[in-house]
Amino acid sequence: MTDSPATTRLSKRRTYRRLMYGSVLGGTAVSLLLRYFDYPLVGEAVYWVGLLAFFVIWKGSDVQLMDERDWALERRASLTALQLVVAVAVPGAAALRLLTWLTDYTAPPIVRGAFYGYIGLFIAFGLSYLWHRSRL
Amino acid sequence: MKNELDVYRSRDGLSQGELAETVGVSRQTINAIERERYDPSLELAFKLAAQFDCSVADLFDPDIDASE
Repeated sequence: MTDSPATTRLSKRRTYRRLMYGSVLGGTAVSLLLRYFDYPLVGEAVYWVGLLAFFVIWKGSDVQLMDERDWALERRASLTALQLVVAVAVPGAAALRLLTWLTDYTAPPIVRGAFYGYIGLFIAFGLSYLWHRSRL
Repeated sequence: MKNELDVYRSRDGLSQGELAETVGVSRQTINAIERERYDPSLELAFKLAAQFDCSVADLFDPDIDASE
């Protein structure tokens, strides 16, 4: 039995998508391993090769790799992720401020760095939202 | 959203993959619509209706009460 063109195309789509995500995940995993074994420069190079392969496959393949459901999933996932971050960051930041004011506790730099990261994320989100709103 | 997509697809003897290919989405998207897990965009709804030579209203029933 021969596959129909539709089946072949869907199979190609699946293959390309696996390659696309595999290149990033594989590149990152190998990069971490190389860094662990003290080859940081090679690790960085492998990381970038994986990342670039993702974009080359995404933009260069002759089949459509994403459709509207994928974008809808991304929108929902983004919203859920933002809500989770809010749920952790807002009370967490308040608790840290109170601890600092009421006691002599100072949060470790890594925790403060994480909160600055969250703040940066929200600023980026706000700017992005405003930009999209101005166009819609 | 309630829909008759699987009925029309079966009537025309199309697989989910073949229909997906025709309207330019993934098989999973067609599957999700048929299982009423995903509501298609207006554009896709019109493409599907055109494919089956029917109206969007023939294919999809918003069923407002169920979505509330």
